[in-house]
Amino acid sequence: MRDEATEISASGRLETDVLAGMRRPGLRYLAAVGLCALLALMLFALWGGMALTGMGLSGKNNPVGWAMLITNFVFWVGIAHSGTLISAVLFLFRARFRTSFNRSAEAMTIFALMVAGLFPLIHLGRVWVFYFLLPYPSERLIWPNFRSPLVWDVFAVTTYMIVSIVFFYVGMIPDLAIARRRLPGLPGKIYGLLSLGWQGTLRQWRHYGRLYLFLAAFATPLVASVHSIVSWDFAVSIVPGWHTTIFAPYFVAGAIFSGTAMVLTLTIPMRRLLHLEPYITVDHFEAIAKILLFTSLIITYTYIVEHGLAFYGHNPFERDQYLYRMFGDYRLLFAIMIVCNSLLPLTLFVRRLRRSLPWLLVLGVLVNIGMWLERFVIIVASLAHDYDPYAWGTYNFSWVEFGISVGSFGLFFLLFLLFARLLPVLAVTEIKEHS
Amino acid sequence: MTTVTMSRGTFPFYLLVLVVALAFFEYGGLVAGEGALLLTLVFWTALLQGVIAAAAVADLVGARWITLLRRQILAAYPLLLVSPLLLILLVPRLDLYPWAATPGQWLNAPFFLLRNLALLLAVYGTGRLYARRSLRGDPRTPASAVIYLFAFVTSQTLVAFDWVMSLEYPWISTLFGAYFFVEALYAGLALAGILCFLLPLRQREGLAAAEVRPLRDIGLLLFGFSVLWGGLFFAQYLLLWYGNLPEEVQFIARRLESFPLRALSVFFLTANFLAPFLGLLGRRAKRSDRVVGAVAALVLTGLFAERLFFILPVAPMPVGILLVENILFFAFWLLTVHSREQLLPTATERSID
Amino acid sequence: MARFVCESREEFLERLRGLVDAGADPQTIHVRMPFYVPEAMQILGERPDRLRFFPLVGGIAGFGSGLALTIYSVLSWPIIVGGKPIVSLPPFLLIGYLLTILFGAVGSFAGFLLLARLPSGRGLAADGEFPERFIIIVETGEGE
Repeated sequence: MRDEATEISASGRLETDVLAGMRRPGLRYLAAVGLCALLALMLFALWGGMALTGMGLSGKNNPVGWAMLITNFVFWVGIAHSGTLISAVLFLFRARFRTSFNRSAEAMTIFALMVAGLFPLIHLGRVWVFYFLLPYPSERLIWPNFRSPLVWDVFAVTTYMIVSIVFFYVGMIPDLAIARRRLPGLPGKIYGLLSLGWQGTLRQWRHYGRLYLFLAAFATPLVASVHSIVSWDFAVSIVPGWHTTIFAPYFVAGAIFSGTAMVLTLTIPMRRLLHLEPYITVDHFEAIAKILLFTSLIITYTYIVEHGLAFYGHNPFERDQYLYRMFGDYRLLFAIMIVCNSLLPLTLFVRRLRRSLPWLLVLGVLVNIGMWLERFVIIVASLAHDYDPYAWGTYNFSWVEFGISVGSFGLFFLLFLLFARLLPVLAVTEIKEHS
Repeated sequence: MTTVTMSRGTFPFYLLVLVVALAFFEYGGLVAGEGALLLTLVFWTALLQGVIAAAAVADLVGARWITLLRRQILAAYPLLLVSPLLLILLVPRLDLYPWAATPGQWLNAPFFLLRNLALLLAVYGTGRLYARRSLRGDPRTPASAVIYLFAFVTSQTLVAFDWVMSLEYPWISTLFGAYFFVEALYAGLALAGILCFLLPLRQREGLAAAEVRPLRDIGLLLFGFSVLWGGLFFAQYLLLWYGNLPEEVQFIARRLESFPLRALSVFFLTANFLAPFLGLLGRRAKRSDRVVGAVAALVLTGLFAERLFFILPVAPMPVGILLVENILFFAFWLLTVHSREQLLPTATERSID
Repeated sequence: MARFVCESREEFLERLRGLVDAGADPQTIHVRMPFYVPEAMQILGERPDRLRFFPLVGGIAGFGSGLALTIYSVLSWPIIVGGKPIVSLPPFLLIGYLLTILFGAVGSFAGFLLLARLPSGRGLAADGEFPERFIIIVETGEGE
């Protein structure tokens, strides 16, 4: 079937274009992989050092017992959210532009979750007893506390990881079968095995369509609940600035916000490097920009409500906490956060800027900086300045923590680079279906 | 239903009749109790603003169900004017609020009235602009939809914080504002579901099956909103329950300790979450006008019950007056939707693709 | 054994309709599609959808096991903390909810593999490739 006529047809071209990324890698690509691998290596080396020496190497202190590592955890779980949003929610709403992004967004979800999952482990200190976290009535007589939000996290993140992987894999099965047909030799055989022998018969497609719908329907409420649960790590305690009911929707919106920004950050260069301009159009980016704008408005709304209500009630601690955030030790970070998360995205009301890829790329990076800082400000400022002035204290990060944070970006980009080379980066079959 | 024809000239008159009737029932001295007007106002403001907001969102994202219901939904936009009128009527009732005795910088009667009145008028103004543009098929519809939504969100947030939450001052829940505007959208969709059920057969006969199909999306959206509502309710409840701080949890404790409120809470949990969720879980149920209509009616009563649950302990009210006021309002809304169509600018219905 | 190759979705559906109208038994018609065309199923006769039972059963099982795990565990370690009852449902509902989704999603995937007969040995064989165009195969003699 691989004759000349096939090559000319539109669907054939699509296959060729998308799978072109899976041929031999160039020098620049290898250099990028090398750099990211080095950063990832640094993460593991520093982690090893910290595990051997002790948690003192991180800048955590008393009262700021949760700092950069937990910030990273929340940040990366947040990044993971847009993947499911774009894949599942937009699928249910029949938004066609999702086909340009869903594969990379789903991959992003899984990689971000892998990176996020490291941080509670790093934060544990004695990582070799991590299984103490898993709650079950065991012989060791360790008390399983299902009232602890940290245990909810274990369930939430694990469930999210498994469901995301299933969703990612199921969405890819037909495309893996295409890769099998297109690629010669051993790689083709491997893709064939991965595709489970997919042939596209009526029976297969019929159940496939239903399965995809079910998975999307399961993933949609899941995506909202995972970051809600992460937010409850903070909100169920009674620390001022943490204990507030809006936290769950606030964190979910923030997660989608930062995740969407990351989609822009990754797909704009990918589109250029893999020559995918015909398939990911500016219209598609505009749709993503609208999601970014929408979630930014929710975040701004939350900032206003949170700060406003702190001054509405009788609670002096709450009021003092929000004054501290605005004018205290971390005021600079707070100001950057407001600019990046609330003010700059407003530019997206202008149609021209919404359609300008360079601006979207810059904005994507800035939003991620803003969102990282937001988590940092929430976590650190509240702990540094709670009820008792005698227990106040500030926090300064250590270079070890900083190195681990940078390394986590290296690990994430490394995984994404490998994905871009090894798997079909666009949902070929779905694009065919809609064209 | 076109027994009464409301022309452009007579509509304000009818509107006035409604407001005067409500005032009569509230202040006529028939029975004691003072919360009925507040509850009616809170509920109907959410409903009327919500249904137009649902249309605005549908217009913005290009949802197709709106094409068939656009005129019915948007015909009721002048009713947005009833909310500010009723707010003025509420002035003698402001001493219901615990802060009325010791006014603060934010919570004092003049500022309270001023900001809420201004917002309700802004909602009316932007809603009118949006509704007219949308009916004309004006290309500037999306922009005015966005502006209306801003006004809607702000107004519903203040409805939550000012009108309802401050009844329990200094009780605080930061989610309350967002909870209210999501509920308003939910109520709006439920109203659309009822309209969909009532959609005159004659109007439907002329349409092909493919053109009516988008109406099924309302069932799907109601299902989705039931889950969203459940999530938000849980998020709020969990934190109050978990924190167990006396100044926070008393809001729940006070409401769960006695009979009528406890039963109400079970009812609205069922009506807003369990029943729509289980009822619309199946594919066939989502497609049936009757099921969707019944669920929509249940959701509306559930949302009403929830407002009753919020307001009743602070402001006791006679059930009779409450029912009369709300039935009056509902009847007027139905009348408006069914008789006012012809005086709207005849829109060339946008092609249904 | 007749084999037709169609370039487009329209051509494919037309050919399929033609075959069925000409009296071919839908049971003997096998198709391979590069993407899902639901209309093909209507032409060849709708079959009951059995996949939906898997998420349903999985979801219920997940919810049940979530509640069972939490309640059994706290009853084995009955320690009161934070003034909460031993069996405090709000957090347990969360665990139940997450396991509903987990079991439901994994259950539907397993159900899919079962019903779609995957992994498929025939598909992995040399001639079992996933085609780029629509293919209709009509059995003429003794079928499988």
